[in-house]
Amino acid sequence: MAEAASARIWSKRAMFGVIAFGIVFLQLLPLNTVPKLWAMPDFLLVFTMVWVARRPDFVPVLGIAVVFLMADLLFQRPPGLMTATVVLASEAVRARAMGLRNASFGLEWFTVALAIAGITVGNRLVLALVMTPQAPLGLTLIQMVMTILVYPVIVALAHLVFGVSRPAPGEVNALGQKL
Amino acid sequence: MARNGNNGEDFIAPIRRLLIGLLVLVLAAIFVVWRIDSPRMERFRSAVIDTVVPSMDWAMAPVTGMANMLADFQSYQRIHEQNRDLRRELQQMRAWREAALQLEQENAKLLDLNNVRLDPALTFVTGVVMADSGSPFRQSVLLNVGARDGIVDGWPVMDGIGLVGRISGVGEKTSRVILLTDTSSRIPVIIQPSGQRAILAGDNTIYPPIDFLEDPDVVRPGDRVVSSGDGGLFPPDLLVGQVALGNDRRLRVRLAADYERLEFLRVLRSPPTEQISDPGRLIIPEPEAEVAVPFGPDLPVEGTDG
Repeated sequence: MAEAASARIWSKRAMFGVIAFGIVFLQLLPLNTVPKLWAMPDFLLVFTMVWVARRPDFVPVLGIAVVFLMADLLFQRPPGLMTATVVLASEAVRARAMGLRNASFGLEWFTVALAIAGITVGNRLVLALVMTPQAPLGLTLIQMVMTILVYPVIVALAHLVFGVSRPAPGEVNALGQKL
Repeated sequence: MARNGNNGEDFIAPIRRLLIGLLVLVLAAIFVVWRIDSPRMERFRSAVIDTVVPSMDWAMAPVTGMANMLADFQSYQRIHEQNRDLRRELQQMRAWREAALQLEQENAKLLDLNNVRLDPALTFVTGVVMADSGSPFRQSVLLNVGARDGIVDGWPVMDGIGLVGRISGVGEKTSRVILLTDTSSRIPVIIQPSGQRAILAGDNTIYPPIDFLEDPDVVRPGDRVVSSGDGGLFPPDLLVGQVALGNDRRLRVRLAADYERLEFLRVLRSPPTEQISDPGRLIIPEPEAEVAVPFGPDLPVEGTDG
C-alpha cells in the first residue's frame, strides 16, 4: 500500500516534469518570429503555481529550481534570477497551501496573484539594481496580468486533465499520514 | 516532502527553511556571476543549448511543420481573393521585370566600363532555424550550424532577400542569431539615395526605428536602407529594407527579410574588413621606428622632434 502510494506520488512528480518540458518545447518552436504587441502568459509559472497551491507534495522545491534554471538558460533570461524569485514565491504559497485548502477560490487566486506580481516586481527591481537592460515595461505588465488571468483556466485543466486538485478530506500520503 | 502540518513533522521545518535559503543563495550566486562575468556564463548557456536543443530537434521539426501546414490550410479560406490579388500583383511584377532586366544590362555595362570589382570573398553557409528565443522579450533564433561549420560571432545573417540579424553566440552545433528587431540590436546603415548614415536600433517591434539620423529632411518613406561598412562590423550594401513613417511620426524601417517565416537563413562569411591604420606618409612625418618611405620626398629627421 505504502509502496503503491509512493510510486503514485513519484509518477505525479514526473508528470509535472513532463508538463514543464512540454511547455518549454512548445515555447521554443520557431512558429512566429515576428515581435508581438502583447505577450502570452508565462505558462510555466502559472502551472507551477497551480501545482504548489493545490498539491505542493507533487512539486518538490528542487524540481522547481531545476525546471526554472533550465528555462532561464534556454529562454535567454539572466540565469538564476527568475529561478530564485520563483522559488521564494512558491515557498510563500506552499506555506499557505494548508490554509488555502479550506479557503474560497477567490482567496487562492488572490494569493497566487500576489505571488506572481511579487515575482514580476522582484525581477524588475533586481535587474534595475544591477543595471541590466530590461524588457519593455508594458510587455512585462501585460504578461503578468495574462498570467494571473489564465490561472483559473489552468486550475480547471489541472483538475480535469491531470487530476491535480485539492486533497479530499481524509486523504492520506505514502506514510499513511493525513494530508 | 516536508510540510508544515500538524502531524509531528515540525522538526523538519527549520532544516527545510535553511536548505531553501541555501538554494536561493546558490541561485543568486549564479545570477551575480552572470552579471559580473557575462561572457563566460553566456558560453556556458550556449553549451547547454547546444546539447539540449538539437536533441529535441527530431520532435521540433515535425511539430513546426504541422503547425505551418495548418496555417497554410487556413489560408485556403481566402484563396479566391488572394488569387485575384496575386494576378494583379503579377501584372505589376511583369512590368517591373522588364524594367529590372533593362537595368541589369545597363548596370552590367557600367560595371564593365568602370572595371568595378564586387567583393568576391562573400560566400555563405545556409542553416535551418531550429528554435526561437521562447520569450516575447527577446527576438532571436537558433540555427543548426555552429563552430564546426566555421561560424564566427558577428557574421551577418540574411534570408534570400534582406538582412535578418547577426550571429551572437556560437555553440559547437548551434549558433544564435540576434534579429534586427531585438532590443539589443544596433546596425550601422546607409539610406539611399541620400546617402545618410544612421543606426538601425531594434525595439521589439517589427518596424525598427532609425536612430542618429543627421538630416531627417532628406530621407523619405520608400528610400532603400542598406548596411554600411562602418566600424568594420558588416560588409556594406546588404539590403535591409525600406524607410517607412511610423504611427508615432518616427522614421522606421520596413524590413526586406520575411520575418513571418524565417526558415532557411544564410550566414555570410564576412572577412574582417581591412583597417587603414597608417597615417598618410606624404605629409605626416613617420615614426622613428619605421625605416623605408615607399614614395614621396625624404623629410629631415630632425623635423620630427620639433
